[in-house]
Amino acid sequence: MSLSSESQKQLMALMTRHQRQIFAYIYTLVPRRHDAEDLLQETSVVICEKFEEFTPGTDFVAWACQIAYWRIRYSRQKYARSKVVFDQTVLDLVARTATTLAPELDARHEALAVCLQKLNSRERDFVLTRYEPGSGVEEAARRSGRSLDAAYKALTRIRKLLFDCVSHQMAPGGTA
Amino acid sequence: MNLTDREILELNELCNAMVDGTITDAQHARLSTWLLESEPAREYYVRAVGQSASLHSYAAEMHAEAAQPEPISFWSWSRRSVWIAGALAAAACMAIVFLAVGQRFHPDVRSPNSKSPVYVARLSAARETKWSGSDSLIPGALLHKGQHLELAKGFAEVTFDSGARVVLEGPTSFVINSAWDSTLTHGTLKASVPPQAIGFRVVNRSVDITDLGTEFTMSANADGITDVLVLKGEVEAAPRSADDQNTILLKESDARRFEVSGVSTVSKNAENFARFAEFEPVNRFSSDFHYAHWSFDETSTPMLGRYAGAVTNREITGALEGAPANLAQARTGGQWQQALRFDGELRARTSFPGLSELTPHTISFWVKVSEDSPLSDAYAMVAWRANTPRLAYRPVQISWNRNPNEGALGALRTDFSGGCALGTTSLRDGRWHHVTVVVTPNEEASIPLQVKQYVDGRLESSTIIPGRFRGPAGVADAEMNDVVWLGCRLGNTGPRQERFRGELDELYIADRALAPQEIVQVMTENRIPASAIARADAPTTVAKF
Repeated sequence: MSLSSESQKQLMALMTRHQRQIFAYIYTLVPRRHDAEDLLQETSVVICEKFEEFTPGTDFVAWACQIAYWRIRYSRQKYARSKVVFDQTVLDLVARTATTLAPELDARHEALAVCLQKLNSRERDFVLTRYEPGSGVEEAARRSGRSLDAAYKALTRIRKLLFDCVSHQMAPGGTA
Repeated sequence: MNLTDREILELNELCNAMVDGTITDAQHARLSTWLLESEPAREYYVRAVGQSASLHSYAAEMHAEAAQPEPISFWSWSRRSVWIAGALAAAACMAIVFLAVGQRFHPDVRSPNSKSPVYVARLSAARETKWSGSDSLIPGALLHKGQHLELAKGFAEVTFDSGARVVLEGPTSFVINSAWDSTLTHGTLKASVPPQAIGFRVVNRSVDITDLGTEFTMSANADGITDVLVLKGEVEAAPRSADDQNTILLKESDARRFEVSGVSTVSKNAENFARFAEFEPVNRFSSDFHYAHWSFDETSTPMLGRYAGAVTNREITGALEGAPANLAQARTGGQWQQALRFDGELRARTSFPGLSELTPHTISFWVKVSEDSPLSDAYAMVAWRANTPRLAYRPVQISWNRNPNEGALGALRTDFSGGCALGTTSLRDGRWHHVTVVVTPNEEASIPLQVKQYVDGRLESSTIIPGRFRGPAGVADAEMNDVVWLGCRLGNTGPRQERFRGELDELYIADRALAPQEIVQVMTENRIPASAIARADAPTTVAKF
């Protein structure tokens, strides 16, 4: 790869701005953090390799997500042994829906920040601990003093609260 | 049509189980069907799972902000860059490439960062081979990730840990990328991929071939012009040409030419097909070894086993330990005739000569764990204590994973001093699963074992997660050497009170690493294949290993 200095700057700017959206797209298809991060990493390599083919001014996220989609297909043998992967037909359908909803997911991401602030601090800390790098449900349960079973129940409740709050924010008349 | 409240609740539960890695097979099937049939369900799923992606993002940002300021090392940059690349806009594209291809995002958790080679294949047979350069490989040689094979002439067969077999015809340049992946730089090969290795790939600069359970040949010249001929089954070919990257499904007797400029048909050369159909080496690797088998079928002595080898065939004793009431209910219907039921009280012991030594071994058995088995019953199905300072005289324990932070809940797990191996398929689903664990010594001091785990004949994991917490080391104790414990947690000095709850059947232990096809035969035929046992008078190419 021999990107010019200007291209490198452009690429970094685009990746900086849109990496989260590419990760979200991958995560909807492979909803395990480590696997999704690996795929994001692999996708980044291909994006670098093919960046000269990208037309400035066109939709970078859509272009990058298409590359991610093919990386996921190529990596299917790795995930075929896991429960968290769908067969090709379902994968294609979900990928199509994820592409269609990409703008909405962006808005939902912003609205989620507002909804997180509406949680009480104990619940907010709990749910963010669950999603912290290197953490998980067990660690969140330990830190919050809940049993594992209670932690799963609390997570279900808080996620639904957040989901409904975000949907409310997104509705006409909402604040999002 | 919109989802009802009841459907939303169920879908929400399925999405949570998916994200938390606790989804059962039944739930997975239900979710898949739903996503296949309903657009509103797909939209709900994408929004719900997308919310978890956002929560990962927010949590990582807060985590990074809360961390103490530190110099941005390459690794701290890599771990954070997913979320806070905005703070690192000065990083150049080449850095991304180096990061991405050089290491993983979580080397401290997932990768052994190993200095010693990770073996993922074996040279299983050869005929009239001549190797280029310093290579001097003989049948039986273990092959590691990243190893380049430069075959000047003759035939060489490589068996990958996934079960895929590739025969190379010299002159050929071939790279072993992993148990599931290889590169044909130039030359000719024939690949045979059994069902458990579906997904095996051979790539080069012109095409990526993903095998869907088949036999195919691939021939590439130095310019990357590559011919693919499918002998049986089908393959998925993804051209790497600039103009056409649409995947092509090639079926039996199909042939295509791939080159940088595009894809073209190849005249079906009958001679070529005939030649490749007989493309087999002759000098096959075999080695002398011993194995023991416990069927658990004997009514009066269920722990009676048989120890056998090329010139050995004798009984091996054992005992069930527990209250009379537990012993009376220890027998149950198994995968093959009778099995042992471990009820949370029962345990069993037997022995296998040499198991405690740091040498290759294969442990294989059937297991059934109920879907609602509590985490407190996830202790060792099979355990023994190592008699070597390299493993700190600690136990090696095969169980199912009860820590969702470290891997899929219920997945096959092998712990030893220095780390653990984790699979992906949950054994906790009320069905019989065939489990095989292959342990081989590793050169690296911090990770003294390489562990390969197979579930239902399919390779699940060969990556070791380094241990982060270690209790005190044990001391040499001859009384514990080579004792095999079933159904209980093992400490440094003997069994502890914690138990495994579930059923075990057809335990095999062998004092060498069984090949993938042998593992499948043990699973499907319930016997060590006769071809695997070298006769005493037969020449062996490489002893053990």
